[in-house]
Amino acid sequence: MDSTALKAHFEAARQHAPSPPDALMARVMADALAEQAAAPDVAAPARGRWAELLRALGGWPAVAGLACATLAGVWIGAFPPVGLQTAAGGLLTPDAALYTVDVMPATAFDASEGPS
Amino acid sequence: MRMPRDAMDQDAEGADDALVARFADGDAAAARLLTQRLVPRAYAHAVRLLGNHAEAEDIAQEAMLRLWRTAPRWRPGEARVTTWLYRVVANLCTDRLRRAGRDSFDLDAVPEPPGGAPGAEEALQSADRAAALQAALARLPLRQRQALVLRHIEGLANPRIAEIMETSTEAVESLTARGRRALAAELEGRRADLGYDA
Repeated sequence: MDSTALKAHFEAARQHAPSPPDALMARVMADALAEQAAAPDVAAPARGRWAELLRALGGWPAVAGLACATLAGVWIGAFPPVGLQTAAGGLLTPDAALYTVDVMPATAFDASEGPS
Repeated sequence: MRMPRDAMDQDAEGADDALVARFADGDAAAARLLTQRLVPRAYAHAVRLLGNHAEAEDIAQEAMLRLWRTAPRWRPGEARVTTWLYRVVANLCTDRLRRAGRDSFDLDAVPEPPGGAPGAEEALQSADRAAALQAALARLPLRQRQALVLRHIEGLANPRIAEIMETSTEAVESLTARGRRALAAELEGRRADLGYDA
């Protein structure tokens, strides 16, 4: 048998391709819908503005951390600890110009000494 | 519920990718379109590899179920949906044949071609040829059968078949060459009965 005859057989096979029964199509479709229903987070994704903001910030764990840090900042601002008041008072009193404060006196460079 | 053949034959892998993503997002219309596009291919491929319509139905349904479950993790552009599907169908057929302790399938499972009723002679001859081919394919080793079906009935290129069969293009060429010779020998015996011009 030559290649032309074989081609005729393959062409016939293409023309008589087995068709899936309607019942099979229905079963496959039922499986698909069942799988979608079994994945509610995927099937009904949150698409609102707040949901997008939440996702952009990194989800609930990130937002919880952010809220904690914010509350701590407000608390420290309203009721500052004694140590913080001392440190801040030394630096930021109205009669102390900030540029005259020597934050590291032990390592000061004295320009007036000149070369030895 | 059938998809027109020409629409199925188009290279619409990008569309399949998009449909899989839509399915994963819960779009029921995408599920219906994927079913219409892919089930005919999966079912026909399984029938040609197994020669049994009931088993082919089970395999097509199982392959599609695996697609539904893979959809949320599907990465567009990484693999073609139809390549993945052909591979899953072939693997499921291989498992089934292995469990049954066979490689080729029983000729009794191949429907007999229609008899020579008067009229529509050409259509009958075509149906005879298709049935004869299926019977001849049944006698070949599974890998040869798979390569021949993908190359000469599904019309895929050798590199794509190599991807589906997870082998080299050279191996596919060898499988199809040996398969054509074996098919020709099988069909030779029925040549006079079929009455084709060659």
